[in-house]
Amino acid sequence: MTSLWLAWRTTKRYRVRAVLAVIGVAVIGALLFDMLLLSRGLLASFADLLNSGGFDVRIVGSEGMPIVRLPIAGSTRLATELRALPEVRDVVLIRIERATLWSNERTSRPVTLVGTTQASGGPYTIVRGDDLPRDSSFDRCPILVSRHLAASLGVEPGSSVKISVNPDGVRSALPAVSCRVTGVVNFFFASAGENSVATTMTALQQALSGPGVDADLILAASQPATGPAAAVRAIHRVRPDVRAYSNEDVVALFNQNGFAYFRQISFVLSSLTTVFAFLLVATLLTVSVNQRLGEIAALRALGISRGRIASILLWESALLVGGGALLALPLGGLLALGLDHLLRQMPGLPERLHFFVFQWRAVATHAALFGVTAAAAAAYPMWLTARLPIAATLRREVVG
Amino acid sequence: MSVVEARRVTRLFPMAAGPVAAVRDVSLSVADGEYVAVSGPSGCGKSTLLHLVGVVDQPTSGEILFESRDVAALKEAERSRIRLVRIGFVFQRFFLLPMLTARENIELPQAEARVPAADRRARTRELLEYVGLADRADHLPSQLSGGEMQRVAIARALANRPALLVADEPTGELDEQTGGHIADLFDRVHADGTAILVVTHNPVLAARASRRLTMKSGSLVS
Repeated sequence: MTSLWLAWRTTKRYRVRAVLAVIGVAVIGALLFDMLLLSRGLLASFADLLNSGGFDVRIVGSEGMPIVRLPIAGSTRLATELRALPEVRDVVLIRIERATLWSNERTSRPVTLVGTTQASGGPYTIVRGDDLPRDSSFDRCPILVSRHLAASLGVEPGSSVKISVNPDGVRSALPAVSCRVTGVVNFFFASAGENSVATTMTALQQALSGPGVDADLILAASQPATGPAAAVRAIHRVRPDVRAYSNEDVVALFNQNGFAYFRQISFVLSSLTTVFAFLLVATLLTVSVNQRLGEIAALRALGISRGRIASILLWESALLVGGGALLALPLGGLLALGLDHLLRQMPGLPERLHFFVFQWRAVATHAALFGVTAAAAAAYPMWLTARLPIAATLRREVVG
Repeated sequence: MSVVEARRVTRLFPMAAGPVAAVRDVSLSVADGEYVAVSGPSGCGKSTLLHLVGVVDQPTSGEILFESRDVAALKEAERSRIRLVRIGFVFQRFFLLPMLTARENIELPQAEARVPAADRRARTRELLEYVGLADRADHLPSQLSGGEMQRVAIARALANRPALLVADEPTGELDEQTGGHIADLFDRVHADGTAILVVTHNPVLAARASRRLTMKSGSLVS
């Protein structure tokens, strides 16, 4: 006859009250769980997105920021220097331009054109066709197009198209170059409706009419043994004129600036929901204890200790809060899926970016918060029974 | 030898118009195996005296000695332990736990006293037979009659083999015939050597006691 067993029997006895409490806590808990998922979800998703390409260091020119890019002077030579570093395993040059893609004489779309020295396995998944060829000597301008662009222009792998680049701030009269679609892909960093095209750096340089085109972003993969922090230090050592950020640095930077808003909102709403859960269970337990004062006084008269009665109440609280908190997880999960779907409709967001991301850390915080709530909710009823005057209560029960 | 002894105890209750003495300078002793009944009009202080002797309340003045120990000198945990293993309480309104069966209600004080499970079960079976409810062991209080509930409450009070059984109007909620059965049960408990202090309006029950006392306005008058 443990306190837990007695609490369970009491909970079963007052079934309706227990069910109402569990449902109430579950609804509140679902909101709390969602707030916890939201508080770090976007950040976790962003980190996942950064890591998805397999590169953990981003290098920009000294005037640039991780997301505001300017050409890096002498980027090809820089890439050669970086490849020679023992802390660096691989280096890829990237250049992003605005361009226009023509599927025929009359049909065109503005696109984001990404030139890369990465021959295959870039930040995309192939839906149809093939990746960019490793050797571009046979195919002077191979391109991958986003699914949305392929659908809107009706192009498929093997289709011939033309691309003319429109550099920022330049009144362009660059000639269009002929390209061949090798594959249709989903770009990790592109939004659902974005028209994106990836090609080789050589093809991009050709479209920009010259080989001396610098990259505006260099991605580096660190050696697993040394890690990205060592790679960043090594890059700064050899080239103090560029800025190198590990993915962790970028995430930390965004955490301080871009995502603080989500954390604050989620902190306020989490606190409110926890207080609601506390008030609900504390009220139910207090009312229940007040209804059972005679019974409790009789138990005390029979020699049942204060500690035992307090622990029964604590377990009762734990059962109500715990039941609700457990139910809150699937409920919160479903709600998070719906809310995530709604929020991801915002324009311009990368398709792979999520606001609500499942993390065991969120489950642990959820459990800890509800553990504290259960204890706090039981505190007042426990105090009430601990200082219950046995004789006076028994007298009141008989007179009443 | 006395199981419990009250020496010139007074119990005052603070009221807006000034303190009221529910028990006034009362001395009472219940010997081992003795059966004492206290009667008197409502509000004369019978239940208050019972609560003092049953170690659930403390006198404003005077002293209560339980098995020669001054109750006032004990900590609450020690008083609670005395109530658990040396005193059995029977209430007018039974106060069985509604979510526990008859068997479980009887087992509860034994579990609290850390009686091993096998001994607990054997003692509970024995008590259910003793009060004539062996066939109702797994019934909830809501499935029992008033008389049956009071018999379960008496079995619960006897669970840890107390030296003293205190009962506050044990037949107060029962009809005459059922009250008679409870009185018979108290006779058996007394015959088995347990001291009993019962507070009652029921003259039939009071008549069974070996010593009958009357209270009036907080004092014992006979």
